[in-house]
Amino acid sequence: MIETGRLCIKTAGRDAGKKCVIVEILDNKFVLIDGETRRKKCNQMHLEPLKDKIDIKKGASHADVAAEFKKIGLKARETKPKAKKVRPRRLRRSKLAGQAAAEPEDKKTKKTIQKTAKKSVKKTKKKEDKKESTSEQKKDQKD
Amino acid sequence: MVEGRKKSRTFRRVKVKTPGGKTVTQYKRRKPSKAKCADCKAVLKGVTRALPKKMQNTPKTKKRPARAYAGVLCTKCTRKKITQKARQ
Repeated sequence: MIETGRLCIKTAGRDAGKKCVIVEILDNKFVLIDGETRRKKCNQMHLEPLKDKIDIKKGASHADVAAEFKKIGLKARETKPKAKKVRPRRLRRSKLAGQAAAEPEDKKTKKTIQKTAKKSVKKTKKKEDKKESTSEQKKDQKD
Repeated sequence: MVEGRKKSRTFRRVKVKTPGGKTVTQYKRRKPSKAKCADCKAVLKGVTRALPKKMQNTPKTKKRPARAYAGVLCTKCTRKKITQKARQ
């Protein structure tokens, strides 16, 4: 019963109760399956073979399997690759100061950069003020 | 009259040490019973057992396994059921 193209139902795991097709026989224990389930290596003991067969070649691609499944009226599982998100990342203040001048693309990052840049400016100002004040005090004490 | 929770054992008693140094018995609700297989009555694994208030905040994926008949049948019974359906 276990041969390439045999329709099966998975009986164990996350894909239990879903239909799949044997794409390749890996050894006397494991087979490669595809279809409503994920394309996966699978133990033969976790499959319940059905009467039907699909004509696919050994090691057929997912697209081939999906096309054959469509003929029977089944829908193969499609996985969408996740879209990459651009995350605003914290950078060093010295770098941010340079970037603030060269306009950033995103509004959010622009705002954050502006904020941090302002902060850094304030801090430096404070430091300078402190220095001045301390020096003045010292002068007073000397006098 | 004595309070009901002090007479019966519907509430469990928890001894707690207060910041003042006293030990106080608090009366708390007992956990609900363990989930069991509808077919063979075996205790189900991977099904959380907590008070309803805590269950509200836990996500669905943490409450039961991600299988067919999850939280209702045990693995053996699911396999039986699926194979039976396939052979019909």
